[in-house]
Amino acid sequence: MTAMPDVLEHVEQAQAHELDQPYILIIWNDPVNLMSYVSYVFRSYFGYPEAKAEKLMMQVHREGRSVVATGNREKIEADVSAMHGFGLWATLSKADAA
Amino acid sequence: MARAFKSTLRGFSASLEAAERKLLRGLFQDVITLLEPQRAADEDPLWAMVGLDPHAHRADFAPPSDPATKRLLPDADPEDAAASLEFRRLSERGIRERKIGALREAALLMESGTILLSDETAPRFAAAVNDVRLVLAQRLGLASEEDAERIHAQDDWSKAESVDEYLALVYNFVTWLQESLMQAMLKSL
Repeated sequence: MTAMPDVLEHVEQAQAHELDQPYILIIWNDPVNLMSYVSYVFRSYFGYPEAKAEKLMMQVHREGRSVVATGNREKIEADVSAMHGFGLWATLSKADAA
Repeated sequence: MARAFKSTLRGFSASLEAAERKLLRGLFQDVITLLEPQRAADEDPLWAMVGLDPHAHRADFAPPSDPATKRLLPDADPEDAAASLEFRRLSERGIRERKIGALREAALLMESGTILLSDETAPRFAAAVNDVRLVLAQRLGLASEEDAERIHAQDDWSKAESVDEYLALVYNFVTWLQESLMQAMLKSL
């Protein structure tokens, strides 16, 4: 019986560690999405000012991808879900793997 | 002749001919058909409503085999197949439902010759039109900036002879409509 709390605590700590790891949201270039649409999504969803949204959009266009947000796994998963809803080609990755 | 979207006091407004609206309605319906989830006969309606399925096995959430559907629902983590499947298990149903909702709303808006979008409706309409373009592009094999330019250069309906030439013109029409809406929406942000 006494082992139980220890085991549970250990599992919770491991999960908390996984959830706290920083993740990044990557938007990939594709030849279909309009530059105006991508800028609009960056401004309206993330609340980025016009200059920042334009800069990120141009980075996607010219370099093929851009990291547009960082956060814990839960936040970035929600962002990916929203971006797929908009039709943007979004993926997530551990921050150190970028 | 269609009139592009512009910002008005009542919202974003465009005018479309009956044939254009019929065409768009058909395209919205096509994408809905692609996205409608396969429902199990014994599915719990409450779980279906919230878009989650606690009994679903990971294998039920394999990436879509149709490339156009896969483009609408890409892998969330291309480096980690298990994580991508887990993301599909938790999120894909909800994303499909949101897309279908926006596409249904867009199809209904085709009932009237004047398309009037509120600030709330406009982003959903833009996303629905964007999904139509993503599917058309996949069918046209549009994979590079060069393909995009080649397709964009086709603008003469009287010269369209093949299905691909016709699809390219449809794609350009939908692109023109979305671009006019985005310009109006960006100005009002």
